[in-house]
Amino acid sequence: MTPLHELTIKKFHEGLLNKEFSALEVAQAHFARIKEKDPEIKAYLSTAEESALREAEAVDLAIAREENIGDLAGVPMAVKDNILIKGLPATAASKILEHYVAAYDAGVIQKLKKEKMVFLGKANMDEFAMGASTENSAFGTTHNPHDLTRVPGGTSGGSTAAVAAHMAVAALGSDTGGSIRQPSSFCGTVGLKPTYGAVSRSGVIAMASSLDQVGPIAKTVADAAILFKAIAGHDPLDATSADHDYRDIANPDFERIKGLTIGLPEEYFIPGTDAAVSTSVEDAIENIKSLGLKFKKVSLPHTRYAIAAYYIVMPAEVSANLARYDGIRYGARVASATNLQEQYIKARGVGFGIEPKRRSILGAFVLSSGYYDAYYEKAQRVRQLIRQDFDEAFKAVDVLLTPTAPTPAFKIGEKADDPLAMYLCDIFTGPTSLAGLPAVSIPCKKTAGNLPVGFQLIGKRWHEADILGIGQYYEKL
Amino acid sequence: MASTITKAELEHLAKLARIELDPKEEEKLLKDLGAILDYFKELQELDTTNVAPMTGGTDLKNVFRGDTEHESTNRGAGVEAFPETKNGHLKIPPVFE
Repeated sequence: MTPLHELTIKKFHEGLLNKEFSALEVAQAHFARIKEKDPEIKAYLSTAEESALREAEAVDLAIAREENIGDLAGVPMAVKDNILIKGLPATAASKILEHYVAAYDAGVIQKLKKEKMVFLGKANMDEFAMGASTENSAFGTTHNPHDLTRVPGGTSGGSTAAVAAHMAVAALGSDTGGSIRQPSSFCGTVGLKPTYGAVSRSGVIAMASSLDQVGPIAKTVADAAILFKAIAGHDPLDATSADHDYRDIANPDFERIKGLTIGLPEEYFIPGTDAAVSTSVEDAIENIKSLGLKFKKVSLPHTRYAIAAYYIVMPAEVSANLARYDGIRYGARVASATNLQEQYIKARGVGFGIEPKRRSILGAFVLSSGYYDAYYEKAQRVRQLIRQDFDEAFKAVDVLLTPTAPTPAFKIGEKADDPLAMYLCDIFTGPTSLAGLPAVSIPCKKTAGNLPVGFQLIGKRWHEADILGIGQYYEKL
Repeated sequence: MASTITKAELEHLAKLARIELDPKEEEKLLKDLGAILDYFKELQELDTTNVAPMTGGTDLKNVFRGDTEHESTNRGAGVEAFPETKNGHLKIPPVFE
């Protein structure tokens, strides 16, 4: 029998219904696993054993009473620390929120509580979701379970490491420019960034509001589809969220999937990409070809401008969103401050790490008088061109396939002092975020080398069913 | 367009962003921001004259909610998390001197 901590959502649900184990036993097996493995991986910032075991017992009780339970009932999961769960810490891995305890549930958590999921704890991340390696956490780096000397990717590196090391069956992450997909590629998990607006952002600590989306991280594409379906939908507390029909997302019609055409954008298959990545992705392409799907070469000509545009639009939004952390409502009072202005400046100076400082200042720059037109407005126009590139490509194909990241997991410390090198980790994931499109990273079945490599499927707006359908088809091979 | 930022400009921006920087951070940011702004230069080669700025992530327009009373799910939330409170209210340092 599969060890209890290695279950997928699907196998867990089947086993639970067949009474092979109880939800409580599986939750306990995960905490045992966390105690064994997490001291070296450091995926969790905090665990919630007491409440999690109570949640699991409630599911067992429901089963004993012969109540109907859904696919996710009792599934033990990790939640990124920028997503609020009432009564649990929510630090966003920042010192300025070190003692903050969430006073309410995020929209996605409200939905998952209705599904009776079990929340094991809060996962590490880059501070305020800024980074690509989880090294920017104020509370220490997470290590890649496949090689402890390497980063798990970021910013949802704690979530992907927890799933990869079987310290959670699945997890929630957030993705602004690649923060679910890139760490999924590095850790060998499946990670979906949904269409902008598919999932509520209420109760998610905001980084860049026109880009942020919450999404599932799982061991299989089928699991990611189940979890996505549960968190998707309109939330009155997020005016940009909307309802779409995702009914069949976890049960795809493979006859329809077989008829889809996949585009390979030439700008994503470029020199400078690590050979292990190119070879592994080529192999996945051959596999998908063997399933009968057609491939076509396409071009997204403005791709090379995407990272520059992204790193202008995003810090501009950061500078607005981080203004609330001022030591007045959040963070600690600074005793030495003699007036209000000084209180703000000192509290933020002490509370923020270097990356939030860098982005807040960069945001202030691109928005300031005299530079607004040349930087911020220019970047918004380029963002439009990038979106139009995708719209144009999607006239000829249904889905795009690319590598998720240009390299496998790099060494801890390798890029920590070079922000620009870190920003370029988003080169294949940033453009889809700017365009608001759904994209999933799926581990290549065969990799050149010992580290996981992911490929990315990008879909049309609201067409998660296409990319997750192809993924589930590939997974069956 | 000059892509370097002077120390005086950085100090001004830090003040706008309400962030205190120590001398080491200042030195690092001067160097980093120079490189980042240099990288941004490539956007200038694109002609965007007739391109409308994309101003957000959504295509939704005019999202309204009913103008009705309702119980907020977040009512009272956060008071216990304030650094300083008085009678259930947030206590702040004096605004006027």
